[in-house]
Amino acid sequence: MELGHILNKFPNRRREDLISLLQSIQDEYGFLSEEIIHIVGDYLDISINKIFGVATFYDNFRFGPLGKYHFRLCHGTACHVAGSATILKELEKLLQISHGETDKNGLFSLEVVSCIGACGLAPLIEVNETFYTNITLDILKDLVHSFREKESAAL
Amino acid sequence: MEFQIEINNKQILVEEGETLLSALRRNAFRIPTLCHMNRFSPTGACRLCVVEVLGKRDLITSCSHPVEEGMRVRTNSPRVIKARKSLVELLLSNHPDDCLYCQRNGHCELQWLAEEMNVKERRFFGKKNTWYPDYSSTSVARDPAKCVLCSRCVRICEEVQRVTAIDFISRGNQTRVNSAFNKGLNESSCIHCGQCIQVCPTAALLDISHVEKVQAALSKDKKQVIFFISPAVVASVTDTLGFKSKVKARDRIVAALKRCGAFRVFDLGTAHDVNVLEEARILSDRLAERGGGALPLMSSCCPSWVKYVQSFRPGNLVHLSEVKSPQQILGTLVKTSYAVQEGMDPESIFLVAVMPCVAEKYEASLEENTHKGVSDVDAVLTVREFFQLMRGFGLDIAEMEEEQPDRPFDTGSSAGWQAGYSGGKAEAVARELFRIMADPKKEQFKFNLPKNLSGRREIKVPIGGKEIGFAWVSSIAEAEDYIRHLEDEQREDIHYIEVMACLDGCAGGGGQPVSRGFEHVRSRKRICVEMGKANPIKHPGENPAIKSLYKGKRLLPDHPTALDWLGRQFNKK
Repeated sequence: MELGHILNKFPNRRREDLISLLQSIQDEYGFLSEEIIHIVGDYLDISINKIFGVATFYDNFRFGPLGKYHFRLCHGTACHVAGSATILKELEKLLQISHGETDKNGLFSLEVVSCIGACGLAPLIEVNETFYTNITLDILKDLVHSFREKESAAL
Repeated sequence: MEFQIEINNKQILVEEGETLLSALRRNAFRIPTLCHMNRFSPTGACRLCVVEVLGKRDLITSCSHPVEEGMRVRTNSPRVIKARKSLVELLLSNHPDDCLYCQRNGHCELQWLAEEMNVKERRFFGKKNTWYPDYSSTSVARDPAKCVLCSRCVRICEEVQRVTAIDFISRGNQTRVNSAFNKGLNESSCIHCGQCIQVCPTAALLDISHVEKVQAALSKDKKQVIFFISPAVVASVTDTLGFKSKVKARDRIVAALKRCGAFRVFDLGTAHDVNVLEEARILSDRLAERGGGALPLMSSCCPSWVKYVQSFRPGNLVHLSEVKSPQQILGTLVKTSYAVQEGMDPESIFLVAVMPCVAEKYEASLEENTHKGVSDVDAVLTVREFFQLMRGFGLDIAEMEEEQPDRPFDTGSSAGWQAGYSGGKAEAVARELFRIMADPKKEQFKFNLPKNLSGRREIKVPIGGKEIGFAWVSSIAEAEDYIRHLEDEQREDIHYIEVMACLDGCAGGGGQPVSRGFEHVRSRKRICVEMGKANPIKHPGENPAIKSLYKGKRLLPDHPTALDWLGRQFNKK
């Protein structure tokens, strides 16, 4: 795994660089693999157990790959009031995964996030940086269906 | 600067900069703590040490709060007592409550606290955690259900051993102590020192128990169970049972083990003697640039240290002495030469080591420590397990008669006692090196140990017209710092380094009785020193067993030197 260009951004190899380094790596690779954590541990001279401890403390770090379509469901107060819990239940049924997981084909992954900051448009979902607002169960079904269609057409 | 503060209407003198807790404890105010450890920076995580300070709105944690002039403190006001009780009740809210089936029943700090705080019923019902226990390691077991997240194990693993094999994973009510990727200790960087077991207040960290294995072997007619006991265990038993110095604790242990059905009981002293003799010989060879290897010679009798070098400092493998650890030396001797002499089948011998160490469990399980598929040492009991075995057989060591260990491994020189504490083995090796290299008519052996117990120590001993540097460190942090210092300064005046992975050596070993504090470590060390002095056999070579082993400098007809047979090679891990 080639991490040299990211590691070079942190030439001082300080312990306090750990989180920014992990963030930069995750931005590029999408998640933190065991191999990455070993490389970072060697580079900063920190035990991998420590790194794993720090990384699991923050929800932001992932340890497995994301799906091709990454769903981020807002679970802020406004979305919650507008029924995001029902949306989550439906979405888990439609994608056949629970939140925090990626499906076996690597197609879908689902994450519950706190307030995205568009409370006026609640409830909302973000899929690969596109926002879908004022979601209803019907819109949701169509959305997932359209992604599935697109994929089977590509095959 | 000293000033006065008021505690419960009593004036006490305190030192500026010290914590309130240390001032309170010095003045016989007992404050309950859970996460606090002497010698460590405070965390204030458990909050049990709270006290009320007049003029402050909130209760403060005395372990992390420095004393202030004019402070007026209440250590047992109703508010403090209520807060402490609630804290313990909250800790118990998700506890499994299986004290009757718990290994730490009766010596668990959480249990003591609940009793102290007068907790009589369950007030909070928390969701119990369902993390799997981890029995993957050969020495240390973890049960996250019993964990109170005090962080004592995490801190000792990081600050004293520099290994960080365990850390807090995740956060909030999902937090647990585990190794990276939740893989279990076996696949982590754990060096099996067992210091985490020593500091754990509950049964979240335990040894991988060999008691049942030993009991099963004792009940089998076909197995001949042979025990051997380490001098450090004798010191530990003497200390735990409060024996006077004239009581021969070792002989009582021998008698007790015989009553359990032991076929033979040996003293590990002879193996310590072989270890010291061989290590001194290797040192003299390396000083004369014979036989390979590098200076400084580093001791390899501590399996945790060896594992640390294998995983973290492979560059230092050439420095380790090639002789086996005392446990494996006796294991080899019993399963090969002794078995041949007695006409026994090695497979019918079940060899049990009683050690102050949990890392020996790991060492005994290594493939390199087997002969033709038969392990040299079949089970290792820590001092804790030894007491458990005794209780199981209904035996009280204090009531035993005295019985000598069996020949040929029935005694040992003072070197065995010296191996029980940090600095002792360095002296024994120096003494032996002096015998090999120096001219006794011209020189006199001088090795004046500084009085201070722990920490990095070094000494120059004139031997054979040369100044030979001996150093001893205990704990991996000290070893790491010292070796880095030697490398940075490019020092070449140190020729031998004794490394023990546990603080203060085997006297503070991971297999010693838990929850007994550092004063017991000091007391065990004192007993080792006294026993070493009282031992009439001062020199490893004077041990009769050694004399017969080394007849004509040949250990056995088909083994030209001891090292071909009792030596080993180190691989990177």
